[in-house]
Amino acid sequence: MPQTIAFFDRVDHALHDSSLQTALHRATTRFIGNRAGAIGALSDADRLRDQARAIRAHALAHLDELLPQLAANVETRGGHVCWASDGEEARRYIIELARARGVRSIVKSKSMASEEIHLNEALEEAGFEVVETDLGEYIIQLAGETPSHIIAPAIHKTREQVSELFQQHLGMPPTTEVPPMIRTARQALRQRFLQADMGISGVNFGVADSGAIVIVENEGNARLSTTVPRIHVAIMGIERIVARLADLGVMLQVLARSATGQKLSVYTSLISGPARPGEEDGPEEFHLILLDNGRSRILGGHYAESLLCIRCGACLNACPVYQAIGGHAYGGVYSGPIGAVLTPLLQPDLPDAYLLPQASSLCGACQEVCPVRIAIPDLLLRHRADAVKAGKFHPVEKAAIASYTLTMTHPAIYNAGGKAGRFFSRILARRGRFRRLPPPLHLWTKQRDFPALPPKSFREMWAERKKQRQSSS
Amino acid sequence: MSREQILANLRTSLNANRPWLQAEAERMPHEAPPFVLPAQDDVVGQFVAELAKLEGKAYRVASADEALAIIDRLIEETHATSVIGWDLDQIGLPGLPELLAARGITPAKADVRGEGRKARLQELEPIPICLSGAELAIAESGTLLLRHGPGKPRLASLLAPCHIAVIFRRQLVRGLGEALALLAQRYGDEIFGPTSNLTFITGPSRTADIEMTLSLGIHGPPQIHVIVVEG
Ligand code: SF4
Repeated sequence: MPQTIAFFDRVDHALHDSSLQTALHRATTRFIGNRAGAIGALSDADRLRDQARAIRAHALAHLDELLPQLAANVETRGGHVCWASDGEEARRYIIELARARGVRSIVKSKSMASEEIHLNEALEEAGFEVVETDLGEYIIQLAGETPSHIIAPAIHKTREQVSELFQQHLGMPPTTEVPPMIRTARQALRQRFLQADMGISGVNFGVADSGAIVIVENEGNARLSTTVPRIHVAIMGIERIVARLADLGVMLQVLARSATGQKLSVYTSLISGPARPGEEDGPEEFHLILLDNGRSRILGGHYAESLLCIRCGACLNACPVYQAIGGHAYGGVYSGPIGAVLTPLLQPDLPDAYLLPQASSLCGACQEVCPVRIAIPDLLLRHRADAVKAGKFHPVEKAAIASYTLTMTHPAIYNAGGKAGRFFSRILARRGRFRRLPPPLHLWTKQRDFPALPPKSFREMWAERKKQRQSSS
Repeated sequence: MSREQILANLRTSLNANRPWLQAEAERMPHEAPPFVLPAQDDVVGQFVAELAKLEGKAYRVASADEALAIIDRLIEETHATSVIGWDLDQIGLPGLPELLAARGITPAKADVRGEGRKARLQELEPIPICLSGAELAIAESGTLLLRHGPGKPRLASLLAPCHIAVIFRRQLVRGLGEALALLAQRYGDEIFGPTSNLTFITGPSRTADIEMTLSLGIHGPPQIHVIVVEG
């Protein structure tokens, strides 16, 4: 089973990459702290999250009405709408549009949906010049890599590595200071914007009652991508919708706080159609791609809850497994706990996608931080059960996950296991870096490289923790 | 064709899952709270403090003259001979046209539409100052809400490295919920009638993509100066 080896190798590779380990540690700790501070400061955080969940559930429950409403409102405002069943239809629409309009260069701001359908590769193959303009995405595009984190795609790169890339591609004089690198990137990318014929963006929310799309960002590259070129194409997964403009009063607050700990992101753009007559700037054309790619079916199955996700990234940072292995090891576009749920659904052609739901200790940290309270551990367990039922596992793997098969069918054991797992990860997190995965995931790592037993037994740690608690009270 | 197929799939799927989704939807009222942090008495002070936390600059001034003095100083500091701005009467600061005229500055129009788009963009690019007003400002997050449209171009808060915005005390609200409610009250269904774009701006453009080091101005303005006129 070569694919399986590939997956294990990615995990192993990640655990041995010391600069990745440092970066992951730095990023996830920072994000966790920022999020906790921002959520903690809210007058009623629990209520706001419950509201966010209710708003998203309402949107999904009425998706069959809200999508046509959104599309009709976009068209009323002079925009075009493309309903795309899959990536192929979306790619074809965009390529044909670009050809018909004589487009040469395209600027993109970060969009998970476009990564899901491998849009860049298709556009480049069709002869267009495509530039990712989010700084992190730009860095990894220069390096020819893929993002390692939803919110911070280039966290695995050190400043020295970035400096080298900029010297090589942008002719920057040697430096390891960050400000000159920022200035270099600003100048280089600014010219790309001014010369681009088309801007492609993602969508954080579609607002049905206003025919608007919402894009949140901190850099301003999405504003430039959607303002400067004469054509704007926005790609939206069909589930990313809210019914009313007023819903943003809840959604934007939980999104920014959960993602980066900000009260609001620096720029939140609400865009409805192309520039109106009398407006001095803005695009002449606006195209909204409504991408299904399996979502309409997922809505009917037992993974429907995953469609509530607003892609904030909080569950990634909170996950002890993600903290240890980073985004690349997951192999798909979506990483971390929610990626382990979504990738087998949205990118089922990835050969080892079915293994991703194993990449969790079921500690429950993801569900605890999720702004829309998705029961991610439950969804992971369902995947495991489905994969076993489908006969996907090799006998050796079966043995490794035998305990999970048991817990899947015995909720009481699962609960107990969840509690223990949560406790275990907290202890490891408190003790600093996670060098090994919690059991039974530690079976992934090659035993010759990693001690098979934790430095202290569970019992020892428990005793120590109890002592600490007593002395601090 | 795809439209019908997608909608048909959605309906089939919802036959199965609509009941529990609907039940989840009804667990909570959806009405956004007007604000989400403990209310402070001094909203202007709150706005100024929030923006400062984000490395933006906010000034509370008692009169139009004080506001003009700040703008004058920023023009001098940036050696600006031009600004990309809103129509001055949309900003509504008395004395602003005279100040700019005295400085020999004619605001550049961000009229990039039509044939000469790329050439016009290159002309605007070197201008050091963006000058705008705002529709509303949100105290608890230090946010400006710009409702763009004729005479209020988007580039006037985006292109140049220094963005100056002038707002008045009466435009301040506490929270995002309040701001959205006020918009709905003012414009109803026509929020997006004459304009294609609303933008919330909360501090200067920032990134932490290189080693999680906070850096300002990667794409949007690294400097934002908001002058709150209280008089
Ligand atoms: S599952 Fe929840 S926490 Fe994870 S990205 Fe989605 S919304 Fe955020």
